[in-house]
Amino acid sequence: MAEAPLVALDGLTVAFDGQPALRGIDFAVAPGEAVGMVGESGCGKSVTWLAALGLLPARARIGGRVRIGGQDLLGAPAAVLEKVRGGRIAMIFQDPASSLNPVHRIGSQVTEALALHRGMGGAAARAEAKRLLDQVGIPDAARRLDAYPHELSGGQNQRVMIAIALAGRPELLVADEPTTALDVTIQAQILDLLASLRRETGMALVLISHDLGVVAEACERVAVMYAGRIVEEAPVTRLFDAAAHPYTQGLIGALPPIDGPRRPLAAIPGGVPEPWAMPPGCAFAPRCSQRLSACDIAAPPTARMDALHSAACLRAAPALRESVPA
Amino acid sequence: MRPDAPLLDAKDLVRRYDMRRGFLGRAVEVRAVDGVSLRIERGRTLGLVGESGCGKSTTGRLVLGMETPDQGSVSFEGQPLPSPGSAAWRAQRARMQMVYQDPLGALDRRLSIGTQVAEPLEIHRIGDRAARVQDLLRAVGLRPDQAERYPHELSGGQRQRAVLARALATEPALLVCDEPISALDVSIQAQVMNLLVDLQERFGMGILFISHDLRAVRQVSHRVAVMYLGRIVEEGEPDAILQDPAHPYARTLVSAIPHPGRRVDRIILQGDPPNPADRPSGCAFHPRCPVATALCARETPALKRRGDGRLVACHLAHRDEALPRKAA
Repeated sequence: MAEAPLVALDGLTVAFDGQPALRGIDFAVAPGEAVGMVGESGCGKSVTWLAALGLLPARARIGGRVRIGGQDLLGAPAAVLEKVRGGRIAMIFQDPASSLNPVHRIGSQVTEALALHRGMGGAAARAEAKRLLDQVGIPDAARRLDAYPHELSGGQNQRVMIAIALAGRPELLVADEPTTALDVTIQAQILDLLASLRRETGMALVLISHDLGVVAEACERVAVMYAGRIVEEAPVTRLFDAAAHPYTQGLIGALPPIDGPRRPLAAIPGGVPEPWAMPPGCAFAPRCSQRLSACDIAAPPTARMDALHSAACLRAAPALRESVPA
Repeated sequence: MRPDAPLLDAKDLVRRYDMRRGFLGRAVEVRAVDGVSLRIERGRTLGLVGESGCGKSTTGRLVLGMETPDQGSVSFEGQPLPSPGSAAWRAQRARMQMVYQDPLGALDRRLSIGTQVAEPLEIHRIGDRAARVQDLLRAVGLRPDQAERYPHELSGGQRQRAVLARALATEPALLVCDEPISALDVSIQAQVMNLLVDLQERFGMGILFISHDLRAVRQVSHRVAVMYLGRIVEEGEPDAILQDPAHPYARTLVSAIPHPGRRVDRIILQGDPPNPADRPSGCAFHPRCPVATALCARETPALKRRGDGRLVACHLAHRDEALPRKAA
């Protein structure tokens, strides 16, 4: 990354009741870029951003450092966090219906965000709210301002959530499984919308998803997470052409192909380890087909293949790549 | 039971519900399933694809006799389905089983896995339960000692395996799987899809695989039917439909498959899925269809066979064909 990062996470850790959920996340987002975070449920992809924005419950123990443009976020006073949340970093979630208030009209929920982050009120706020609904592709925006969330479909509610997120003109939008609850044709609409909004506003996007396919389409760079760590990071095309971590290879192999002969999928055996029963070494070792005896001793350090591609796997480390038979 | 009859033959199924809008609103008739015919052969899988509200789950319940169709008929092994709740229906339920999306919701949290797998054997009075439970657990890739476990002690994938073991206990001839992998993680989805294919090879049951995921459907199915608003709009071989979908809606679904390294010209549909209570005239897809003509708004296209054997319900998809036979 040549530019100074917009947001930088350094050694971010989270533990709930003594059980680690995040075990040291180092990650940076550059201004305007689109990065995906992929992994299975419980891998920590959502917790990473909830922790960064101070949205976790008080019992969560958070360590490490989160900075946005030089400003520290962890342990920052509420006033600072409130300016950042929604102002510089906005977040949208999987289920739009539960993120919106069912007893308030769409318009007042959008103007609330405008009042908070841009000090707008009255007719100006209403006009801006209409513009935002237009921008996210809600037909008949002027009338929709007076509608309640239950009068809109799931896809339209997600558009409203995106409009609210845009109200503060964020530099980064964190979208946590934004299309998982939606139908496939509506998923295509929302991904298309996110791409065009990025072109229009130049904001950066972090797309959290369990679906490698979705991330591959919407993002330039991907981080793959497993059991609270980033196990591989690479540009999208690189990841699909030359995944270095056996877990990433497994995720790609588990996707049913859309053509060619049908054969059994290369499923990853077993399941994700529970936080209270983490293996001593690499968390993926018990499921890994390429495991070495050294994998059980200590968590592998992150090996760097080049400036943009890294993987936390002993086999990916350059010194080992030549000496270990494939 | 007639050996030459298809395992399951459903004809022109219609299921209506009355929906009331608001507290004192007038009841509106909703046709959840509007004339669906399908056929499942022994040892084969029919994939049923569509978006939420298209009637695919209702179709699944209709073919199992869990709901009675308002019109149409279902015959199983050549015999019409007995009426729900009758002794004959209960006896037949052993031959047809259902697997749902959420394995935790489908299992009883207070009973061990072994007890739950043994339950259908007790209900249908099938002997030597202990040995059979062990066999079933092994067949779905669980260890026999996991019979002692409770649902919350298993992972999502293991729970779905337990649900499958229970469904297979009575050696069903037909398995209806309603979104059996949607609630599972990607790596576990692959395990369950492999297992389904495997079990079908071993036990030879017919499967109705209901899913919104065309990739998953291709992986496990021999035939695919695409549903839109209560009707089948296209039916054929999975590869044929994925490579060359004929119906504009099927084309949209195929182009919406997110696939790494394949940035195709995606067809972005305008608008939302239609409300079944407010069905458009003519072809239900015409308000969102990129190629609709005036005819499409007037006349409902019938599901007709094309020269290549594919069934398509679209006025335009049949245009290039020889003069279509007069609609029956």
